[in-house]
Amino acid sequence: MKNLIPTIGIGLAVALACLAAAPMAGAASIENSECFACHSDEGLTRSATEGMNHSRMSEQLFIDETQFNHSVHHNNGIGCVDCHIDITKLDYKQDLPHKKQLDLVNCTMCHEESSNAFKDSVHMKIRGKGITMNCNACHEYHYATRQEALSVTDRTNNGCTKCHNPYQSHDWLPQKNEHFSFVECVVCHVPEAPRHIRLSFFDLMTNKFYSSQEILKILGISESEFRLLLDTDKDDIINVKEFENLELILRQKNVHAIFHAELVAKMHPSVHKINRGQAERDCKTCHSANSPYFDAVTLVLAKDDGSSDHFQVDRAVLESFSLRHFYALGGTRIKLLDKIGFLLLAGGFSVVLGHLAVRIATIPLRRKNAYEAEQSSMQEEVSR
Amino acid sequence: MSHEKLIYIHPAPVRVWHWLNAAGIVLLVVTGFQIRYAEILNLMPLKDSVSLHNFTGFGVIAAYFLWLFYYLSTGKIIIYFPDPSTFVAKAVKQVKFYGYGIFRGEPNPHVMTPENKFNVLQQKAYLGIMFVLLPAQMISGVFLWKVKGYSDYIHLLGGIRIIDTIHVLFFFFFTSFLVVHCYLATLGHTPLAHFKAMITGYEEHH
Repeated sequence: MKNLIPTIGIGLAVALACLAAAPMAGAASIENSECFACHSDEGLTRSATEGMNHSRMSEQLFIDETQFNHSVHHNNGIGCVDCHIDITKLDYKQDLPHKKQLDLVNCTMCHEESSNAFKDSVHMKIRGKGITMNCNACHEYHYATRQEALSVTDRTNNGCTKCHNPYQSHDWLPQKNEHFSFVECVVCHVPEAPRHIRLSFFDLMTNKFYSSQEILKILGISESEFRLLLDTDKDDIINVKEFENLELILRQKNVHAIFHAELVAKMHPSVHKINRGQAERDCKTCHSANSPYFDAVTLVLAKDDGSSDHFQVDRAVLESFSLRHFYALGGTRIKLLDKIGFLLLAGGFSVVLGHLAVRIATIPLRRKNAYEAEQSSMQEEVSR
Repeated sequence: MSHEKLIYIHPAPVRVWHWLNAAGIVLLVVTGFQIRYAEILNLMPLKDSVSLHNFTGFGVIAAYFLWLFYYLSTGKIIIYFPDPSTFVAKAVKQVKFYGYGIFRGEPNPHVMTPENKFNVLQQKAYLGIMFVLLPAQMISGVFLWKVKGYSDYIHLLGGIRIIDTIHVLFFFFFTSFLVVHCYLATLGHTPLAHFKAMITGYEEHH
């Protein structure tokens, strides 16, 4: 019964959301296919329309339908006119069946939280300097895909590095290349954004990530069976033993997969709130035992649409030999090595102190022996 | 003390290497502790300790090649190799000396000469250190310096965790060895005799 109340609540919320969305979707009964009748033409550019179109966004008016159909918006049933809300009807009697200059798409209609975070970011503030940066700069309206399954490299290539060259700054940061390869920009630049260590299957032979389908095919199981195979004690957390079991199964299947680990931000609106001077610059925050940066660990099964299945992993896995291909200096260190190190040091000091103590204690003995030796040598000389 | 009792044991290149190496190892130990235990130690900022550790590491590597070049080019590298036929007997004698004879004031069974300056225990220890442990530490250190750049080799060797484990365990070993080494250096005829010899090059023969 306890679980029923939130379930009903969520159900009602979803129903209300659908009702609220209905007028927007129904504002224009224009199918995407009608738009693509013109916009799938690769030659459709602003100049080709001889000034007929006054688009302020880009010269290119062609939309790749295949790519669009893989976008997160399309996959969620968002059609062209759900964003281009100022197109309410198409007048086919005209050469250009809609307005010459469309209104800018307002992402805030749906992405209010992200928009609010963005408004409080350096990317919004640069408008004061005459630079306008909008959502499209990073997300590409028509081809926006889900980011959660992407690696650090793909995430930064799709976003920050379009404008920023991280190597031109960060001079204070040791091991730049390593940081840029394993840590997503926003992890440091938006310290309050939730983040996690993202573990994914990586093939060392082909240098490629395994997709969800590939891994499931290798294991010969379905998606629902994967959790059962992994989480044998059914506590919803993959512990070290369960992680080792998975490794063993992969080895038995002769799979050359390793677990590739990266520190990435979770998909949360707050990642848009990037501001100057707020980046984490204290290395110790990350590179010390019990760093909060490694509290959340997730094994990710990436899907083709960019979404992914997440499986919570015990942090202890990061601090064990189960994960041999990731180590954050100090932060994920193996405590057993500290104990062995302590024993080695204690051994060295014990030998020294023990020997020194006996050396000091036997000073009288050596003096006595030296005296006796001297006496005996003097006697020998006298007897000669 | 007469000049006849002085023997030139440590040539200049060896002394230069030794003190460069010693300073380097001390710095590596200090910065190494700072890097691994950043949450406990506050000797210097972590990023500075990483930079200093890397810089010093390359200094020690350079000093190692100075050592290697000198000993290979002069053929003196042989002093690091114990004679297997006499090793056991000499080792037993040496252990007895350190564990018993030294407390009674007995003379060291090994007599230092320029051609044979190490006793068999030193030979065995330094052989392992100079030809196995130090190279392993240097290679693992270079890999940790550029994890991304050397990722192929790191993967081949089993992963960054393995490389780090080697580096950390040897780090503790070298730290412990440093303590023991400094103590053993006080076992000359006076506590500072061997230290002076490593500066002047001359050991006093007693």
